[in-house]
Amino acid sequence: MSHQLGRAVSEILHRYFGEIVQQVGKDLFTYGSKPISMIVKTTGLPRQQVIESLRTLLKFDLATFEPSVNDSIADYKLLPDNVLLLIRYPRYLLQIKSKFGSEAELLVEELLQQAICTATVLLVTIATKYKDGKESNINVIQLKDTFVSLATAAYIQQAPVAELKEDCEVPTLVPVATIVPDLDTRALIQAVNTGNIADINDNVYWRVNYDRFHQDFRDDLMVKAIARRIDDNAGELTRVLLQQMYLSMPAWAAESGPVPVTELRERCADKPLISQHINHYLKVIEESGAGFIRRYGEAGGGQYSVRVRHAAQELVHAALDHLVTERLGSHAARIFRLIRTKKYIDEEDIQKHAMLPNKECKELTYKLLEEHFISLQPMRKAASAGAMAKAIYLYHIKLHDVAQSATELCYRSLHNVVRRAHHERALHSRLLDKQRRVRSIVHQMRLRGEPAQNIVDVEETLTPPELAVLQSIEKRLKQLNTAELELDKTLFILKWYFMYPQ
Amino acid sequence: MSENIEDDLKEKILNLAKKNPKGITDKDITVAIPELTSSELVTAINKLLQQGCFDLYNQGGSLIYRLKTQANKQAVKGADNEEKVVFNLIEEAGNKGIWIRDIRIRSNLANTQLTKVLKSLESKKLIKAVKCVNASKKKVYMLYNLEPDRSISGGAWYQDQDFESEFVDILNRQCLRFLQQRADKIKNNPRGPIIGRTQSYATASEVQKYITDLGISNVKLEVEDVITILNTLVYDGKAESSVYPDGNRVYRAIESLIPPPGLVQVPCGICPLVLKCCSTGLVTPQECTYMTEWLE
Ligand code: SF4
Repeated sequence: MSHQLGRAVSEILHRYFGEIVQQVGKDLFTYGSKPISMIVKTTGLPRQQVIESLRTLLKFDLATFEPSVNDSIADYKLLPDNVLLLIRYPRYLLQIKSKFGSEAELLVEELLQQAICTATVLLVTIATKYKDGKESNINVIQLKDTFVSLATAAYIQQAPVAELKEDCEVPTLVPVATIVPDLDTRALIQAVNTGNIADINDNVYWRVNYDRFHQDFRDDLMVKAIARRIDDNAGELTRVLLQQMYLSMPAWAAESGPVPVTELRERCADKPLISQHINHYLKVIEESGAGFIRRYGEAGGGQYSVRVRHAAQELVHAALDHLVTERLGSHAARIFRLIRTKKYIDEEDIQKHAMLPNKECKELTYKLLEEHFISLQPMRKAASAGAMAKAIYLYHIKLHDVAQSATELCYRSLHNVVRRAHHERALHSRLLDKQRRVRSIVHQMRLRGEPAQNIVDVEETLTPPELAVLQSIEKRLKQLNTAELELDKTLFILKWYFMYPQ
Repeated sequence: MSENIEDDLKEKILNLAKKNPKGITDKDITVAIPELTSSELVTAINKLLQQGCFDLYNQGGSLIYRLKTQANKQAVKGADNEEKVVFNLIEEAGNKGIWIRDIRIRSNLANTQLTKVLKSLESKKLIKAVKCVNASKKKVYMLYNLEPDRSISGGAWYQDQDFESEFVDILNRQCLRFLQQRADKIKNNPRGPIIGRTQSYATASEVQKYITDLGISNVKLEVEDVITILNTLVYDGKAESSVYPDGNRVYRAIESLIPPPGLVQVPCGICPLVLKCCSTGLVTPQECTYMTEWLE
């Protein structure tokens, strides 16, 4: 695991959980896995604080533990990939909102904040929160229904339970199969009214199933890519194809099993343009150069399979193309793609095909080499022996390595962006604090129904220049925040690619 | 008329002409070779004229063919043996030219002598030296009146051995423009995507015609040249190519599979200092000016 990942993770922990958790997380990242006493030693933090931090990390599934050598104490380990997911939360919310509406969003938001929670607590908390709010149309029955549909669609799942094995004092977490819950509506309503949930006996804990969301994100990527390459109908057909594939395959399989065209046609019956030209669309998608799908066989009017792994690879290629274009210019990107198309190519041929002046071409090729986008493969001519035998050098692309360095670059950028946001906040912390105080006072006053003039007086303690500064900070922070989300999307593609062994 | 008979015939006519340095007429030929039909005669003569063996004169109303006095051959006549040898080697090489080192090896002449010989031939305008485009230091020699081969001169893209990258860039853009005009035909085409795709394809000769009509090039561009340009578009990721059943290459403008990813939207992704950027030190994200500018 890379140093850069460690830096990014540490900044993110700081953002969400503060300095102490950051220290513990950093320590765990550097040392791999270690027991509490060792953490205390290296960080120099009080034991109690370390335990608190670990509790937080464990709760949010950012760390795990396993029995140490002597079985009586536990070793803790950070899960850096899960830490990175923290910045993906807004995307989860957006996704669930567009699919299941705003109640689902509330549910997922609360669940993400709680990390792990029983259905009863979750539903009652939300319902109570909004009981007297303006959005009075939120009631516990609706929430319950939404909860059930989220569970059915596997966006939330039951949390693993800790089990104690024999002769081992450290429990192990065992995943449980999710059972869609049957919640007692009347008890829930009563709990909301009385504010007392102690009566309900519910000890099934839930957490958000990230993987299900990621599956959606991946589908979106593929669908959008095809829509860009061909048209929306083709994109739509890809979506149907993916849905059909889930019926028989694990979602992340490298290549799906065959999906018969007849099934697809049935599913597209309501889309005349697609169902009419379904075979043509499939053929065009297959030949689109992206290679997302493949004709599998002829049985039953033709079958197609989805090449998930290949799709990941193509998207990584596309991302790298953009990266080279932006870093070294479009001519360098031309050389880069040329090398990729030809697999192995020598310098002279690059010049011939890229149609660039000799000097520029050489320069760019070396630059690509320097930034590790391409590599050089010496080939000995076996036949010609002696001093005359000059090795020829062929350029080519080791996709895995290049993707790796792109990932590193993402981590670096992510760290820098989070760091910068932190810095911006720190610079203006006094002002931001003041704003927060004014807001809360105003809020209180409103609740108390104080006269408007008084409220305005309080609001005006923020002077116009201060407001201007605040506005510009807000804008900056927002931009940094968008950048984080976008970086995360790039990381998503790369991670998806790395999911499949080379 | 099969090849053999034709060659035979040409030989006979040439021999006849050699015997009569003042020239021969149609009549002379028919007398010498009585079995010849007039149509055969015409084709044979035309061939010979094409090959530049004859000069054509009009003498007293009848045409006279006279064997060409080959000027260069004559010029060499006056030269010494070395010059002849070198000249022959160069002549052999045709329009691909021959490298000076190869001449030396094959002629067994010493370096200094060879340079002298070449100089003298050059000054007589019998041969010329041509710079090779793909190896700037390498000079090749060929006969003075020959047009260098594409592999030597580089074809349309070179002017005096200089690569005209701007010209290529302009063509690259124009080709893309042409492809883009029809690229949208594939989108939601009511007649189905395959027909749509076909409509969005362009063959190289269509593109060539478009480019020629634009009049941006004063050199004549062959279809092959246009294909070279179109291929750069493919390498640019802006077009894809495919082959029609009849073997014609077709091209279509495409978009990248994804919009520019987040990585290139933040300054760090394209920052030249990214590897030097640390949490502390001279280059830090806190103080970075790239970031500051970007956040403005
Ligand atoms: S923070 Fe600034 S200097 Fe550092 S990598 Fe990003 S853009 Fe470059």
